[in-house]
Amino acid sequence: MNKLIKKLDNIKKGEFMNKISTELKQGIKLHCIKTDLYKTDISCIIITTPLKRETVTKNALIPFMLRRGTKKLPTQYLINKEMENMYGASFNCGIDKMGDNVILKFYIESINNEYSLNNENILKSNIENLLDIVFDPVQNDKLLNRDFLEIEKENLKKVIESKIDSKDSYAFEACISAMYGENGFGLYKYGYIEDVDKITIEEISEYYNWLIQNAKIDIFISGHIDEKEMENLLVRNENIKKLRPRVENYILNNESTEIKQKVEKPQEVVEKLDVTQGKLVLGLDICSNFENFQGIAVVYNAILGDGANSMMFQNVREKAGLAYSAKSVLVKQKLNIFIRCGIQIENYEKTLEIIKLQLENIKNGNFSDEDMYNAKMYLISGIKNVEEEQDTEIVYYIGQEISKTNISLEEYIEKIQKVTRKEVIDFASSVNLNTIYFLRN
Amino acid sequence: MQIIENSKIKEKLYIEKLNNDLTIMIMPKKTRKKYIAWSTNYGSIDNKFYSRDGKYHEVPDGIAHYLEHKLFEQENGRNSLDVLTSLGVDANAYTTNDHTAYLYECTDNFFEALDEFMNYVQNPYFTDENVEKERGIIEQEIMMYDDYPEWSVYMNAMKAMYKNNEINIDVAGTKESIAKITPDKLYEIYDSFYYPSNMVLVLVGDINPKEILEDIKNRMILKYKNPTKRIYEEEPQEIVTKYIEKEMNISMPIVLVGYKDNDLTSNKIKKDIAVDILSVLLLGKSSEFFENLYESGKILAEPSANYEFSKRYAHVLIQVQTNYIEEFLKEMDTQIKNIKENGIKLEDFERAKKRVYGDFIKEYNDVSDIATNLISDYFKDINTFEYLEEFTSMNKEYVEKVLEEVFVENRKVVSVIKPFTKKD
Repeated sequence: MNKLIKKLDNIKKGEFMNKISTELKQGIKLHCIKTDLYKTDISCIIITTPLKRETVTKNALIPFMLRRGTKKLPTQYLINKEMENMYGASFNCGIDKMGDNVILKFYIESINNEYSLNNENILKSNIENLLDIVFDPVQNDKLLNRDFLEIEKENLKKVIESKIDSKDSYAFEACISAMYGENGFGLYKYGYIEDVDKITIEEISEYYNWLIQNAKIDIFISGHIDEKEMENLLVRNENIKKLRPRVENYILNNESTEIKQKVEKPQEVVEKLDVTQGKLVLGLDICSNFENFQGIAVVYNAILGDGANSMMFQNVREKAGLAYSAKSVLVKQKLNIFIRCGIQIENYEKTLEIIKLQLENIKNGNFSDEDMYNAKMYLISGIKNVEEEQDTEIVYYIGQEISKTNISLEEYIEKIQKVTRKEVIDFASSVNLNTIYFLRN
Repeated sequence: MQIIENSKIKEKLYIEKLNNDLTIMIMPKKTRKKYIAWSTNYGSIDNKFYSRDGKYHEVPDGIAHYLEHKLFEQENGRNSLDVLTSLGVDANAYTTNDHTAYLYECTDNFFEALDEFMNYVQNPYFTDENVEKERGIIEQEIMMYDDYPEWSVYMNAMKAMYKNNEINIDVAGTKESIAKITPDKLYEIYDSFYYPSNMVLVLVGDINPKEILEDIKNRMILKYKNPTKRIYEEEPQEIVTKYIEKEMNISMPIVLVGYKDNDLTSNKIKKDIAVDILSVLLLGKSSEFFENLYESGKILAEPSANYEFSKRYAHVLIQVQTNYIEEFLKEMDTQIKNIKENGIKLEDFERAKKRVYGDFIKEYNDVSDIATNLISDYFKDINTFEYLEEFTSMNKEYVEKVLEEVFVENRKVVSVIKPFTKKD
């Protein structure tokens, strides 16, 4: 058996006892999340690599190519038949942006073995198929299947074009892009139309083979499982045996790595599209570091715009009646907060004024102890929910793994509880408006 | 208390009727979460009725949804949504075409929240001022939906299928209709439709059925009331129009095909399962139909098909995104015709059935999914567990019969959202 370095994360106080991480090889980890709360198991392979203009489109194309067939099940129809036979196991893949990195994710959700009608080992079959999809695609002489390429390039183009279909997320992406340009976090996760045509089968195959031998790989399995059994299954799997140890090569984004300068005057971007409702997005920078950054940032954001008691919800929606949806989102990795709301186009100035007033109010300490209490309560109850929702729990652990943070849910709650009014006010002074983006007709 | 047990999903459902005629359903689950929803059988389709004094009422479209927003207002000036949020519980409400539900879920403070929750649902407080204040918010909600192509394609399909049935009305109403909503009208609705025998209270999660019943009874204010009578328009058998389209700023057309099903008396659960199985067989990712269209670049993802029904309507909806509308529709018709003529292959049938079974099991994971299903099934006079019972006896012949009877050309409508035509 391979040399296994066993590491138990956060045994402290028993809170994280249900997650056991094992390094299978350098740069390749197995994370078992043991839970008997669900009727389903989820297996998930995550590949993490930096977002770069040169490779962003190729990264996006890879899941499209891989879902098409494995050596054992060489067409997607065979894969789909197999999934249906496994009681409608749902296989899916996609691309996510996390700070300056892109995450390629491949996952299968299926019912737990105890609900099978003929005693099949559904989980084992799914894990093996998932590993085949990612690491053992149809290949000829190290080239991926040429026949799939043209159609998948067309499919990728359609996905890139569909960016416009959801106006809310279009506006959000457009604001990020206005702030960061075509760099790292500013890139569109599905890439760019003009790159797609140029990609050849040689290029995508070479990139794929480089990626699986060099990128950080994490395998998450959540469900009614035995971690020893899972580990054995993976260690003996031919696909895992073929993978070489690697140095994790991705960009670590956090409050120490990101340094922001205050911009004097925020840039204003107005874009016109045929929309009924205007979509307003404000991009804010957090311009200094704090000791308990994690705690203070989430409390500040909750007071500002996360939840029904927040200033955004209360003032923009409830008092002024300007919006149905009015909130703020914290992007921890990049030290940004984004304020988002959908408004009547002629209310642009009025809404902006009210939002700016809220930002000033926090800065000047114009919020009550009750606001502090409500924000903390809201956040803590959210954290307590993490272990009660299977996908939320996996997403939480992925975030921890990529940001190399190891705080237990209990520690996270403590960090929130100890945040003081003064800390929120100090933090507010470091929050600076960078970009105002408005999508209108 | 009535107890129904299902050995396949390994869950128990406790049902009790209180003295005031309110039905309570409880499903204990292994989780730290507790979920409660109180729902009344009043939705956007119920716009004409006789109140208990015999008076006839016609209310503005969107009033059920407006009431849902406003029920949170309390006489003490507080908004119950704020109060519940302060307790760290996740509170919300929603309105459908046939019911309105108020809910919260939490891991802590369940009983503190229960006081507030049961108090606000049972104590409406509508004033000119608080009703007026909401108008702008709901207008923005309506406009937000106007920008969703999936919503437009659905509403248009309803308009193409139904001439008079109130399902063709937008749940939130229109800017014009909600302008007519007043506190008096909201009180009239509350009084006419928020009475115990018209409601159901559902609890799912870390809950002890016997104990919780006492807690509910202690907080119960609503008294027994006689039912009110609703008036619905007679719906002709025919569809309104075969085709409807709209242009929006989107990248690829969205197509929704609907088959109006006029048979409202047959076993809906069986039919629902049959449509799920047909969806896999006709359009699923393992079908030749999908393979051909995918390989020729005409579709990108699996079309979805489902059976949407209540006591007042039933239809099949098939949705897909494609640049090749004509080809897709033609191929789909051919596929339906072929299976009608040649029958379903037993192997395909068994595989599709396994997939549908797995999907049922998955619905019993999340407390909120379970509660939502229990409520909507209750108002359709369905016992949710029956799905698993009917499933076992489902055979190929029945599914073929549903295909023959429901997927009929002269009851078919096509609703399309197209990207704007490019102008020079």
